[in-house]
This record gives sequence, C-alpha cells and structure tokens, in this order.
Amino acid sequence: MTPWRSGASVAARLSGFAIVICVFSGIAAPAPALDFTAEEERRILRHGPWPPALQLDPSNRVSGNPAAIAFGRALFFEPRLSISGAISCATCHPPERAWTDGLPRSRGQQTVDRNAPSLFNLRFNRWFGWDGAQDSLWAQNLRPLLDRREMGVGPGGAARLVRTDRQLSCGYRRAFGEAPGADDARLFVDLGKALAAFLEAQVTGRTPFDDFRDALARGDAAGRARYPAAAKRGLRLFIGGGNCVFCHFGPAFTNGEFADAGVSHFIEPGRVDPGRYGGIRKLRQSPYTLLGRFNDDAGRSTAAKTRYVHLRQSNFGEFRVPGLRNVALTAPYMHAGSLETLADVAHHYSTLDEERLHAGGERILRRLDLSVREQADLVAFLETLTEKAPLHEFVEDTGNAVCRQPVQ
Amino acid sequence: MARWRLGGPALAAALVLATGQAVACDRPEGWTGGARIAGELWTSWWQSEPAAIPVGAHFSIRFHLCGPPVDRVKARGWMPDHRHGMNYRPTVTLNGSSGTAEGLMFHMPGRWQLILDVRGAVGREKLTAESVLE
Repeated sequence: MTPWRSGASVAARLSGFAIVICVFSGIAAPAPALDFTAEEERRILRHGPWPPALQLDPSNRVSGNPAAIAFGRALFFEPRLSISGAISCATCHPPERAWTDGLPRSRGQQTVDRNAPSLFNLRFNRWFGWDGAQDSLWAQNLRPLLDRREMGVGPGGAARLVRTDRQLSCGYRRAFGEAPGADDARLFVDLGKALAAFLEAQVTGRTPFDDFRDALARGDAAGRARYPAAAKRGLRLFIGGGNCVFCHFGPAFTNGEFADAGVSHFIEPGRVDPGRYGGIRKLRQSPYTLLGRFNDDAGRSTAAKTRYVHLRQSNFGEFRVPGLRNVALTAPYMHAGSLETLADVAHHYSTLDEERLHAGGERILRRLDLSVREQADLVAFLETLTEKAPLHEFVEDTGNAVCRQPVQ
Repeated sequence: MARWRLGGPALAAALVLATGQAVACDRPEGWTGGARIAGELWTSWWQSEPAAIPVGAHFSIRFHLCGPPVDRVKARGWMPDHRHGMNYRPTVTLNGSSGTAEGLMFHMPGRWQLILDVRGAVGREKLTAESVLE
C-alpha cells in the first residue's frame, strides 16, 4: 500500500487536503503533564540512536587507517603548515576548547570572515564549510592551507615540508605505504586525507538526551523520568511549534543542508557574505571535489550530491545548518559568531525579523514570540545535547612521536 | 532513518484529482510495486529506489507514462508548506514512454510533492504525488 496520494495539475485542488504536519501554528502552552504524544515520540526517536554506525569514506583511501590517524594528528598540530610558521589547525580549533576558538570570527594569519566551527562529528557531514564549498572532509582540510588569511602554505610549501622533514616523511610513508612522491598536488591532497582520517575519529559521546531517547525507545519509565522537566518542555518546542526540527533533523541534529537563519550577511559595511551561493560557485571551480581526479573511489559512489547540486538565487545568504551535539560548548553561534550564548540564539528566533528574510523565501522561519520561560526551556533542552563526561582527552601532541620508532 | 509515513486509509488511496477522464494505465510488466498518478493527458506509474524514501539521502525513480507520445519529462520535488523545492536538480533519462530520474533528495521532514512535468505535442501536464516524510 502506498503512502502517496496523487493528482494531475493539482496546485489549486490540493488546497482542500488536510495538512498532516502543522507547519506553524504558534506556540501552544506546554501541557502540564510532560508525557509526549505518540507522534511526538516518533519524532524524538528519529534523533537517535547515538552513536550511529560508522562508515569509512570511500573517497579517502586512508579513512580509518590508524597510521593515517596518527599522521593526521601530527599535521593538525603542525605550525609549519602556515606561511608564518606560527599557525596550525589547532590555533583556531583547539581540542581542549571543543575544537573551536571562542571568537566570533577567527584569526589565522589574519582575521577571517566567519566563525571557526567545532570539529565534532564531521564524518557525518554532507557538505563542509559554512558555505559548503567542499564536498569531502579531505577537501575541506585543504582550504585553510590554501587561504593566505588562514594558514596559506599552499601545495608546494606543504609538499616540500613533508618530503624534507624526517618525521613527517616517515608518517606519510606509514600512512600511505609509500614515500612522499614528486607530485605536489597529489601529496598535498594526501595531507588533507590524513587530516580527514584524524578528524573522522572525533565523534561526540552520549548525552542526557540520548539516555532519554533510548529510555523512550525501550519503554523505560524510570529512565524517562530522569530527564529534566525543563528539557522536556524545550524538546516539545524543538520538535513542534518551534519548527527547529525541519533543519536540525536526525541523530546529528542537522539535515546537512543550508538555510538563511535571519542573521546579517554583512561582513562589514559594504561587504556581503554570499554564503551557499558563493560556496556552490567555488565548488564548481575547485579541482578538489569528488568528481575530480583526487577521489580514490573510482565508482564515485558518494559524488551524487556534487553531480546534482543546483545553484539558485535563493542560496544567497544561506549557511550550513550545523549539528547541535555538544552545542553548549561551541559558542559563539551562527556563521559569523554574531550570537554569544544559547540564550541569545533562543531570543534571536523568538524575535526574528521576518523582513530580513528573503522575500518569497521559506516559510519555516517565523518569529516565535516565546515567553522567557519557553526560551529558557529551549536552552535547557539544547544543553542536554552536550556530553556530561569530560571532552576528548587531547592534551598533548602525541602525533609527532609517530615515527620515533624505526620504520618497519 | 526516516520512512514515508502512512497517513491513514484516506491518504493511502491513490486519488484521481483531474476532472476529466483519466488515461487508463496498467502497472508496467515486471513491476512489483510503485504508485500511479492519473492525469487528463497522461497517467504515470512511478517507483522509487530505495522503495522507502529517506529524509536527506539521494534517491532515484523510474516511471512509465501512458498516453500520447512524450517529448520531455522533468522531475522535481516541492514542499508546498515551505514554498521551496530541492537543493538538487535531477537528471531525467527518457526512453520512449519510460524513463528514470536520478539525483533527487528530500532534505527535510514534512509534506513533499513529487512532480513529473510532462510535455508532448498534445500539451503539458503536471503529475503530482505527495506524502509526508518523517
């Protein structure tokens, strides 16, 4: 039996049908009892289980390779991959600060236009960067090495470093099974792939929300009861009238796509960030995509997104929808760090300036007009998406020791 | 992974919404599933791969059209409640009255329409199926 209904030339005729999902009906007062309806429970369950099954990246031949992970770790902390010799990936993405620098707009060689996102759960992304200009994690890792405002070492400088440094050369050989070659471009891309192997390993742990979600799944009343009442009320807003779930969907709390969240596009007076519109244009000009020669997967099995992505005027000012796991640790928020706290984010959507959104744009975003308590509830829910246990233990640069033992 | 949600018997039934006589069209030979969209000029059978369309993953469809000769078919998705379509433009390969569309993705939960825009010498018709994706 099909769940579809069908018709021909039906734009007007469909208007009489019941709309199953309430697109926006305003925020109803939370029910006194915090039991969820069966439909709400179905929606909640779709945000797990966590962690999901991990899959290797077929476009990266060293995905999941322990030697590549160790080599990638060494590269991540390597300041000689910058033109000044002073900036490493970890400068803007310090692991001890949830892989972000806490600045609205990050500072590499210069201040850049956007916020440094956290590096949690990157392996689940479909697109990379705030504008999605990269279609793989290994390509994303090349971008700061190419951008002179960030690290800027470039293919030639990076390749030269790896060929001439004994430990890095050894790390490359262990990871890729051959000595660094003479082809700068290929060697450069391989560094991105080793970095990707390292970053793929950074998957967040379980959260209070996951415990609640799994208690729902197994009908564990005691487990459900342990979840705070405020978080339950916030969750109801999140999956219901707040409309958050349309974009922050699934176990990683993102649909992996792009949205105009109603924040300013201006980098500074007179200079606008085109967001996704610019990202797709960059993607199409890049040699480092899944459709190019550096993809290790001859079948291009993950390249459908790149092949079919569609550039539209409405992409202007859209930015990638971030996942929300560990969100309480990754302030400030939005693509240029314009909102300092989660409370500011809740307030932003509560008081959204609908005039700011593109005319004819999506109807998902509406001014929510949340009460103070509702905003606090939403924050309480978001905080339960953050791990209670200490963050990943990333305290020392152990990666550089990868080749202290003789090469076998 | 989300699945297409059954919306009850009324929603499950295929409805002929056009006012005129629908074009007769049997399920294509060899098909074991699929759904029918009846129009005034054409009627289509279509089937997705995978059969249950997930949120946020690419899928393809195959279709077969009954009616007069077809010149061109476009496939697209549309969220009427949100007034936006897909972020991907599928490629349609047409072979006579049958074809495939590859590269579709419904990137968020909610009410989606799958639209086949069919053109031929006799005119143009939009064949629409819809469901709620969760």
